[in-house]
Amino acid sequence: MQYFVTRILGVVPVLVFTWTLVFVVLQVIPGDPVNLMLAGVPASEEVRQRERERLGLDRPVAERYVGFLVRAVQGDLGESFRSRRPVGEMIAEQMWPTIELAVGGLLVGLLLGIVLGILAGIRPNSIVDSVCMALALVGVSLPSFWIGMLLIYVFGTVLMVVPITGRGLWALILPSITVGLFIAGGFARLVRASIIEAMGQDYIRTARAKGLPPVKVVLKHALRNAMIPPVTLLGIQFALLIGGAVVTENVFARPGLGTMLVDAVLTKDMPLVQALVVYKTAAYVFINVMIDIVYAIIDPRVRLERS
Amino acid sequence: MKSSRRNAIKGAAAALGAISAPSIGRSQAPGFTLVWADDSNSDVTYDPRVTQSRHEEQIIVQVFDQLIMSDEKGNLAPGLATAWEMAPNGLSLRLKLREGVRFHDGTAFNAEAVKYTFDSIVDPATGSQGAVDMIGPYERTEILGAHEVRVHYRAPNAGAIDSLTENEMSIVSPTAAQRLGNTGFAQAPVGTGPFRFVSWDRGREVVLERNPDYAWAPSWSTVQGPSNVHRIVHRFIPNNATRVAALEAGEVHAADILPALDTRRLNDSGKFRSMVGVAAGLSFGASLNTSKPPFNDIRVRQAFMYAIDRVRLAQNLYFGIINPAYGPLASTTPEYWNGAEQYYRFDRARAERLLEEAGWRMGPNGIRVKEGQPLRAYFPSLLLPDVAVALQAEARRVGFEIVVENVLKQRQDELLMTNQYEMAVVRWVSNDPGILRVPFHSSNIPEPGKFKFNWARVNDPALDGMIARAAAATTAAERSTLYRELQKDIMDRAIFLPIHDQVQTAVHSTRVAGLRFARGNWQIRFHEARPTA
Repeated sequence: MQYFVTRILGVVPVLVFTWTLVFVVLQVIPGDPVNLMLAGVPASEEVRQRERERLGLDRPVAERYVGFLVRAVQGDLGESFRSRRPVGEMIAEQMWPTIELAVGGLLVGLLLGIVLGILAGIRPNSIVDSVCMALALVGVSLPSFWIGMLLIYVFGTVLMVVPITGRGLWALILPSITVGLFIAGGFARLVRASIIEAMGQDYIRTARAKGLPPVKVVLKHALRNAMIPPVTLLGIQFALLIGGAVVTENVFARPGLGTMLVDAVLTKDMPLVQALVVYKTAAYVFINVMIDIVYAIIDPRVRLERS
Repeated sequence: MKSSRRNAIKGAAAALGAISAPSIGRSQAPGFTLVWADDSNSDVTYDPRVTQSRHEEQIIVQVFDQLIMSDEKGNLAPGLATAWEMAPNGLSLRLKLREGVRFHDGTAFNAEAVKYTFDSIVDPATGSQGAVDMIGPYERTEILGAHEVRVHYRAPNAGAIDSLTENEMSIVSPTAAQRLGNTGFAQAPVGTGPFRFVSWDRGREVVLERNPDYAWAPSWSTVQGPSNVHRIVHRFIPNNATRVAALEAGEVHAADILPALDTRRLNDSGKFRSMVGVAAGLSFGASLNTSKPPFNDIRVRQAFMYAIDRVRLAQNLYFGIINPAYGPLASTTPEYWNGAEQYYRFDRARAERLLEEAGWRMGPNGIRVKEGQPLRAYFPSLLLPDVAVALQAEARRVGFEIVVENVLKQRQDELLMTNQYEMAVVRWVSNDPGILRVPFHSSNIPEPGKFKFNWARVNDPALDGMIARAAAATTAAERSTLYRELQKDIMDRAIFLPIHDQVQTAVHSTRVAGLRFARGNWQIRFHEARPTA
């Protein structure tokens, strides 16, 4: 327990460091946010100066830096330069569709990756192995917009079995597959390697000798021991997805944090960029802590080691 | 053990079925729901006083009415005003307002609402980006009675009546605007139109629902009362291929700006109808920056224009759906002068001669050079990079290097205000030839803090004079003559390269009918739409 509390508290210095980095980079990039924000508005220099004061852009850098941290701790992340809406509200709106897609993609990736990895791992260097690994390679190599468009064409336009856009679980199927194929690719290879290693262990030979059915040998004994490296990878992938999958979001007309971040960076909407980066960092660290917890669940040796 | 697992699976399947989204055929609301796919996802405001985005206007056109309403052919009809009379000196316009009209929030429409709307347009706090130009030299609105106003202008405003038909001049509910504030009103607009705003699911869709009390449709509308469409779902689908797929799969009834090839294919299939409208206003073209090299030399500008084969360009890019343009005004704009079609006919040899005359000699890598400088123009492109790239290829053939960069609006605005570009595309939709003031009058040269559209940076009192005189013309004959001379002068100066017509290509399923272009052939009106099945 103490272990996890320490880990979670470790988020804070990471967040401060990341936020500082983003702050510095945004200062250095050329472009006056007020001019960019008021682009198209016939606003005089007085109006612009007033805006700068309102946004606090005329204060010294150090004051702005500290000021933001103080407000952030109280829960105020500022307003978007472009839409003038509270940034926290904007992120909250887009968070649920992003999480939906992340979970959907993860489930597809997990399922497909485990199946391909196991099939390949229990019969290494066979035809089944080659086919599975080729499929994994295809999943990792094909660009997601291409996969997405192909799925839309085949399943949405020709066969018409799933919706192309919209909300709800049916509309989540194609985008989840698009995202999941990529995850499955890397995951399958890792599962395969881990299964091969596990299957070579003595306890597997013992299990077989005891007369256990092969399915149980693989799923109950080998897989559990093989899961630690793949779980790490899965965690990393999930953390990346939590920040949004911009290409998939665009292809399937889904709102999401990926699109929001790209738009914010391109329009130099500083408060939004900063808040999104903080969010992504926090999510990443948090998920890493979760992975550690999962290790303890999967592998009793880790549990014992820690206590 | 086994039965509980089976139950769990059954339970999950039931939950899946319950949560799954209905496709458009199975909407729960009574009445017909029309689903529209828009090609953009960058809407920020639905306040007509602030907007200058045709995407935002696609919503605005359903939610708001104007004082005078024009159909797509330019026929004017009483809207929120029942009668109007321009003073002979052009300095004021008297309007009688329609009685019995209510905004969607119940506020009565009256003279106060008109005054509030116009005053707020010119108030800098509103941050108007389009209406502030449309409204002209507005001074004040005088209230003559509960349903009568006189609008006063600082200078003669011959385009006043026409300007009142623009979407940006729609009348807003003062109660709602004041209660919600400008930011709030932008996200929950309240007007008098045939549809009222319901919700905005950011990044996904906007939902409108019909105004059951709507009884003041313009006389040119085929539906005089409330619409047969009960709900409109306006979906944001920026990816072209996805939008086409959604239309083909029946997930949306209509979609806008489909690629030319798909527009043709869908129309030919018989299950869809394409609506192709040539927008009046400026041609789609590039302004050449006359304030610095290389385009400060008229020979270079002329050479550039002779080097572009726009007939072939339009054919290659648009498969016959869009025609090339030859003059600054679109062919459907009133006072369009077809003499412009004789200018700068494709002639590569002549282009090369002009460049040689101007001192640009062919360099080692196929780019012309003069005094050590390459013949290069920077072209930040906001819209349609395929056109920019086609221009780039044509220009290269005569040794002219165009550097094309696809930029976002914020970046382009910055470059334009600080004069860091050599050419840029300007588009404008308008039914008034006076629109030529916007890209060519010296008062419209952009500067830091002042975002205007004279991107050719032409600053000539003679041209300003012609623009002013044409706008102030009192007879139809005089107007025709002056606008013809103005267009000729603009072409002689070679400051604007017309490329092609601005065309809106919307495609809809044959399951709906009654979709109609709004004034200017850009937005689609849904008031008269109905299901055919």
